[in-house]
Amino acid sequence: VSEAPGLRSALEFMRRLRAGLEAGLELPEAVTGGAAALPRDARLTVERVLRRLEGDYAEDEWGYDEEFVELVEPFFGFLYDRWWRVQAEGVANVPAHGRAMLASNHAGILPWDATMIAVALLREHPLPRQPRFLVLDWAFDLPWVSVFMRRVGGVIASPYNALRLLEQDELVAVFPEGVKGSGKPYGERYRVQRFGRGGFVEVALRAGAPIVPVAVVGSEEIYPKLAELPPLARLVGAPFFPVTPTFPWLGPLGAIPLPSRWRIEFCEPIETASYGPGAAGDRAVVLELTERVRDAVQEAVYANLVKRGPAFV
Amino acid sequence: VGRRVLITGVGSYLGGLLAARLEADDEVEAVVGLDTRRPKAELPRTELIDADIRDPGIRPLIEAARPDTVVHNKIVRQPGPGMSPRAMHDINVIGSLQFLAACEHVPSIEAIVIRGSAGIYGAEPNAPQFLTEDMTRLFPMRTRFQRDVAEIENYFETYSRRRPHVRCTMLRYQPAIGPDLDTQISRYLSQAACPTYLGFDPRIQLVHEEDALEALLAAIRTPVDGAVNVAGRGTVGLARMIRMAGRLSVPIAGPLFGPLTAAARRVGFGAYSEDFRRLLRYGRAVDVRRLEDEVGHRPRFSTVAAIEDWVARRRGAAAA
Repeated sequence: VSEAPGLRSALEFMRRLRAGLEAGLELPEAVTGGAAALPRDARLTVERVLRRLEGDYAEDEWGYDEEFVELVEPFFGFLYDRWWRVQAEGVANVPAHGRAMLASNHAGILPWDATMIAVALLREHPLPRQPRFLVLDWAFDLPWVSVFMRRVGGVIASPYNALRLLEQDELVAVFPEGVKGSGKPYGERYRVQRFGRGGFVEVALRAGAPIVPVAVVGSEEIYPKLAELPPLARLVGAPFFPVTPTFPWLGPLGAIPLPSRWRIEFCEPIETASYGPGAAGDRAVVLELTERVRDAVQEAVYANLVKRGPAFV
Repeated sequence: VGRRVLITGVGSYLGGLLAARLEADDEVEAVVGLDTRRPKAELPRTELIDADIRDPGIRPLIEAARPDTVVHNKIVRQPGPGMSPRAMHDINVIGSLQFLAACEHVPSIEAIVIRGSAGIYGAEPNAPQFLTEDMTRLFPMRTRFQRDVAEIENYFETYSRRRPHVRCTMLRYQPAIGPDLDTQISRYLSQAACPTYLGFDPRIQLVHEEDALEALLAAIRTPVDGAVNVAGRGTVGLARMIRMAGRLSVPIAGPLFGPLTAAARRVGFGAYSEDFRRLLRYGRAVDVRRLEDEVGHRPRFSTVAAIEDWVARRRGAAAA
């Protein structure tokens, strides 16, 4: 019964659209006319899509498109609430404004963990802010993926990009495990890998940005990687080619992540400004800070694994 | 005593505008234009020399003009009608080489300003999203034009090392757009349908013709050593740019792009150089802080504003 008004307004929309077209209106005008019959939300969406078709939307200099993020938010909101039933903790540890870096554990070839961190901040933070992500450069040579990444705030994982973003007082999310993290076999889940050579700490020091360790639990069960097929990885130029219980057997369906239960914890920020920008060149400081961040992430991952309990129920 | 400025490529649109602006400047005593083509605009105060920069015999002509500042504006960005890629390479590389050799022993020269190209950075999927002037060596040189620009920069670097008291400013221009400027970008946006790479929507950065000119003037006023990026602030997604121009994108799968556009060319569509194709696929943006802080020109038009201006003036011209 609740579906009936929706259906009725959709039919009314089609009727008006046809009438408009028969009256000799151009398609966009006819669609706008028809949209008057729709509920407010739907009408706004239609108008917004039409405006976008005329190039009337804003992107910032990085290609981040806030409106696009709003358009896709419902899908990720569904994953957050229903699919993974995410529980976020310590969101207030993320500074409400000014430069800051989020450093998180990472799993799976598709960066779902990054999207859930973003939704958690948008939903639960008292002053919601959209993080920018450092993304493995491989993604930027892929059709569609590259466009999607830049629209939702992804940038190529390069220290130059990270530094510039921090200097613009943005919130930058990094996954220092890199491919070592996303390519972990299932048996090694939640063992946080080495954090590279600490490049992210160097950038944070240079910009004087605090580092917030982030632990994501649940993300490491969505694609249980059983094996790898290196020849196929070479063929498509990917960093690795995973074999999971569903992929590649079920084709694109294998890309559907398993509905595990998630927890995200934002830990106490680790302050870097007192070291001064010069410390970025000091190996000992950089490696020590890197280890501190990694330890904090690992500890929080274990604690949240216990708090979460069983993975899927 | 005023400045004496020599401009190569004065017959180009921008070269002519530059000469006209310098003529109007009280601090400039003399403007000398060197080109094989005659400038389209009326330039009463400019002394024109009809010569080819590739000709080794131009040295006495330059010496006689006694310039303190030389603007090298004769770098071809895309072959015009009736110009082969070979001839373009010849003008760009051999021309710059001969011209510099001719300038080598002219004692009056204090500064050289070159209208170079940001094409030297190429267009790479994994390049930093704002390239600074020191990032030319991050990736291999992939196209002929890119190698040519690198070669030109090399000559000027060598020159400025040998003659440390001459300031050499290498302006690296992003593609320019403007109501009266005919460039690869404006030709691309003038077509009814604009081919794009399927699944790619790169960030494009442009410079408005007015800022292109102002940047040259600023560099003549305050020459600095080394490379300086020239571009409007910000970037625009290719798809958005095409929609702003009121055109239609025609997405073509990557491997088919080259063959299909080459076939379209036979039936009268525009040609796309390899550089331009890479730009359409991966895009490129540069950092302009050096231009703003050291050379002292703040671009008036952002990339988006430059396109809006181009579209508005186009519509105005079409309506009139």
